Parts: sequence; structure tokens; C-alpha cells
Amino acid sequence: MMGVKDITAAIKALPPFPSVATQALSVLEDAGASVEDVIAIVEYDPSITANVLKLCNSAYYGLSRKVHSLREGLVLLGNAQLKDILLAGAVVKFFEKKHKGYDLAKGDLWKHAVATGVIARLISQRVNGHEPPSLFTAALLHDIGKVVLDGFVDEYFEPIMALVASGSHSFLEAETEVFGTNHAEIGGKIAATWDFPEEIVTAIAFHHRPEQASQDDQVTRLVYLANVIALSVGIGVGADGLSCRGKQEVMDQLGLASRDLEAIVIDFYNEYHRIQDVLGMV
Amino acid sequence: MNVVVGIADMKVSRDPEAVLVTHSLGSCIGLAVYDPVARVGGLLHYMLPDSDLDHAKAKENPLMFADTGIPLLFKACYKLGAEKNRMVSKVAGGSQIMDPSGKFNIGKRNYAALRKMFWRNNVMVKAEDVGGTSNRTMWLHIATGELTLKVSGMGTKVL
Repeated sequence: MMGVKDITAAIKALPPFPSVATQALSVLEDAGASVEDVIAIVEYDPSITANVLKLCNSAYYGLSRKVHSLREGLVLLGNAQLKDILLAGAVVKFFEKKHKGYDLAKGDLWKHAVATGVIARLISQRVNGHEPPSLFTAALLHDIGKVVLDGFVDEYFEPIMALVASGSHSFLEAETEVFGTNHAEIGGKIAATWDFPEEIVTAIAFHHRPEQASQDDQVTRLVYLANVIALSVGIGVGADGLSCRGKQEVMDQLGLASRDLEAIVIDFYNEYHRIQDVLGMV
Repeated sequence: MNVVVGIADMKVSRDPEAVLVTHSLGSCIGLAVYDPVARVGGLLHYMLPDSDLDHAKAKENPLMFADTGIPLLFKACYKLGAEKNRMVSKVAGGSQIMDPSGKFNIGKRNYAALRKMFWRNNVMVKAEDVGGTSNRTMWLHIATGELTLKVSGMGTKVL
């Protein structure tokens, strides 16, 4: 059996969350902060700057003109959007690679992350009329554990697939059976290592088992459902396919019926054209 | 030459060089039709079973739904010279997550919508690979009508 030690070492070997992004995000929390303060931090990281510019110019944010500098982009966006863009720009590098174990081509995990983020928002708007501040981050990062577990899944692909093919295990349950842990749990550990807030850590760790989060934890349930819908519409789906558990009670808790799921699929399709360039960034 | 069929999209062709491909079906259905005499083929990737859900959306993009998309696929092939009685239909996709409650059964409903339409219109399905939890990608070779299918975690085969 795969040693937990090996996986722990692989978590440690993952590059740290970019400190530029952490600093910029904490500056944004401060109500007195200006765009200048944010620029002063971000401009030292050329790859994040380039990603932020690409995102600013994507149809999703719908700016009326092309943005050529960080300053222009940041001035035109509100603080909430700025936060999302900085975060997305900072995590691209974790998701862009090909992931052989999960049979995900280059860019697939990024597409899945962005689609899940967008769908989580759409569900929250439908259910609440607004969105919790940590929702987009949690949804964007929900599969970060796959980045670490990928090499192990590659090595142990046959026993995992045998369990999945037998119909007795979801892919996550097969991971747990073979490794004693799974990509969600590992993702939670990574988020904790990166000092993310508790509700994001929890949503990532339990995005397949939302019943293990507290009853009033809606973020975890929204991320769970957004992931399920992103998989159903086939965005960034790998070897695990749709092999995850349907949790009827989550639908009930969010006050959604089957027909609402289909309506959310349509909502997503409407957004899909606007996020093409974001999906295609890597 | 690969011609990509996106989500809620279709392509038809009589170019023998063309290979129509649709990636990552999930719970969506990929329907491939081919007339071996005219060597005309088409591929549709629809997302949902029934346009009753949103008529405005169906008007904007009828290819989203089984009931509005499937007739368009056949009609587009007729325009290129295909004839209904010669056309061969193959189906893939319609997966769904593991859910005994049936609340998440978009895949199953997508497939049922196709069977119902085919039955009404007296069309047979020649081959299919549907349901389960696998993710599928399909390629239709216009020169030969051969349909190749990649099933996640299980490799590639001819359907």
C-alpha cells in the first residue's frame, strides 16, 4: 500500500501558494487599500501579471475596451472581481499541466476549475440571490489535491479502476481504499498548508462528502453540486468520469429539484461562450 | 482533418478527408449518423432532453435539446444528399453520477428522449455505448463511416 509518508512528502513538494497573491489578497481585505497598493505587489510577478491581463480582457468580465496595463485593468474592475482575478491568475500554474494519472490533457483541470467556479456562482445566485465571499475560491481550488495525487493514481491505476468498474466504489472511494486518503482530503491539507480560511479548507476536503461538513455549511454543498454539474456537462472530465455519488439531500437542502439542475445547465451554457477565452488560457 | 463539434453543436460533411469529433460527452449525448452510399455524415452533441424547459433558449440554439436538435441533424444530412432509409445511427454518452434516487439522471433522460424520437420516426440505432459513469469522446470518419470511441479509463475502440 502506498505510504501516507510519500503523499505527505508530495504535498510538501508542491510549490507554495504565490506570496504575491497572498499579499495582494490581504491588502484587498483592508478597506483603506488603493489600487496602487495592489499594483505595487502584483507587478513583481510577471506570470501573474500576464494572467491577470488576459483575464481582464476576457469576455467574462465584459470590459468595454482592451486593457493594456495592470493599472487600467484593476481600475476598471470592482474589488470583488479583482480578488477573483488575482486568485485565478495565481492558481493557473497549478492546474495547467497535463495530468496523466487522471487522464487529463493539458489545460483540462484548469477548465474544470473555472467551470466549477462559474457554476457554483450560478447555483448560489439561484438559491440565495448572492454568493458567499469564499465560494469562488473554494470552487476554483476544489481539485487541487489531484495535482499531488496524480502521480500515485498513475502508478496504481489498475487497482483503482478495477474497484470503480466493479460498481462498488466511486473513484474517490477507490482512492481511499488504495491510498488510505483521497484527492479531496489531500486538497484540504494543501489549502491548510497555504493558510486558507477554514471554510475553504473544509469545502475542498469534503467536496465529495458534503454531509461531513456542518449542517449550516452551504459553501461545501454548493461546491459539491457545482462539481457534479461541471462533470455532467463534460468540462475537464478525466479517467474518473462521472464516478461520484449523487447526494439527493444536498439538492433538498439547497431547495433544488431535478428540473432546476437542467435550468442550471442552461445558465451555464449561457456563460460558456463568455468564458471560452478564460478556459483556453492554458 | 478534425472538425470539432462543440457543446450544443453539430457538424455535417461529405468531405472524405473530414473527421467529425466531439469531446467529453459526460451526460450529454453524441449522435452520429452516416449514409454509406452518399458518404454523408453528421454528428450532434446535445445537452438536455426536452426543449419544454426553456423555449426561448431552444429557439436561440435548438441544438441544446434532443427534441429540437435531432431533426436538424437529419435535415442537414438530407441537404447533402443523405437518404433516411440508408442512414446508420450510432449513439454514445448519457453517463451519470452514481445516484439511486434518480435526482441527477440527466444522462438517462437524454438517452430516453432519443429512443422515444427514434421509435416514433421508425429509426433504428445500429450501435451504442451509453450510460454508466464513463466519460466519452467520439470521432466519425466521413470517408468510411467508422465511429471511434474513447471511453475514459478504458481506452479506445470502434463502435
